Amino acid sequence: MLDAFSRAVVSADAKGVCLGSAELAALRRHVADANIRIDATNAISQNISCIAADAVSGMVCENAGMTQPGGNCYPTRRMAACLRDGEIILRYVSYALLAGDPSVLDDRCLNGLKETYLALGVPIKSAVRAVTIMKAATVAIITDTNSGPSAFKDVSGKGSDCKGIAAEAASYFDRVISSLS
Amino acid sequence: MKSAVTTVITAADAAGRFPNLSDFEAVKASFARAAARMQAAEKLAAGIDNVTADALNAVYKGGKYDQTTRDKCARDIHHYLRLINYCLVVGGTGPLDEWGIAGIREVFRTLGIPTTAYIEAFAYIRSRVCVPRDMDQQAADEFKALLDYVINALS
Repeated sequence: MLDAFSRAVVSADAKGVCLGSAELAALRRHVADANIRIDATNAISQNISCIAADAVSGMVCENAGMTQPGGNCYPTRRMAACLRDGEIILRYVSYALLAGDPSVLDDRCLNGLKETYLALGVPIKSAVRAVTIMKAATVAIITDTNSGPSAFKDVSGKGSDCKGIAAEAASYFDRVISSLS
Repeated sequence: MKSAVTTVITAADAAGRFPNLSDFEAVKASFARAAARMQAAEKLAAGIDNVTADALNAVYKGGKYDQTTRDKCARDIHHYLRLINYCLVVGGTGPLDEWGIAGIREVFRTLGIPTTAYIEAFAYIRSRVCVPRDMDQQAADEFKALLDYVINALS
């Protein structure tokens, strides 16, 4: 597992050189933005069910047959597995966001996920839809543009500070989507 | 690779939980030290050749070691200093552990390399770090802690 710092170190090691001023400048920017990154990850941590459970519910609402006999979320055991998976994917996205590098998401979550879903008969299209809703919800919560409870209540301008990091979070969800489809 | 942030994430993942407030505090604490670490890394990167040459002269001038091993010793000191540069950047001992220390005892024992030369070199570098000529106090502390880590691993 890598973070933004160890990613820089691994690429320097491949060349056998020290990390000098040029490389450190980028990492210093990363350090300067650390509080924004932590706030954004915290916004996810505090809205887990708002993001994950609602995304799975939304996916089911759009396709009501799923919870009927014969559907992929019937019986409740399978619905529970689906809810759990939504939360697991969100958890690894939150790790990647905190680390500033997608390797933890790739190594520990996405590697083999599609194969597992195909083997278990999980409909990939619906899984992708749930991840898409999670992405939209996460971006809305991080930028504080959601209609529900505010992640940065009484802190003015916090959401707008987090626009750049919201784009990074969205890129991790896109990574999940492209690895599934 | 072990760094300040990945250590936190590994622990959170083992427990299957989202990053919580104490995780954020741990990450924040490591970022608070980052400026000093990066200063040390930058100064070391800029002066690595001089530092290596300086330490090498100090070790070999006594005539205790075979002069034919000088080049190889220089290469290894340079190598360890580079790994220290990496450790300063990531804020953990991951690069040294994975690329410099794992298996090192076996290699030195098999090849019959005396580790005392390296230990002398790193102890010399440690004693030569000057505040504030070379770097700030906090940066020097971070650098010396890693030199100690290497010395301990080689002893």
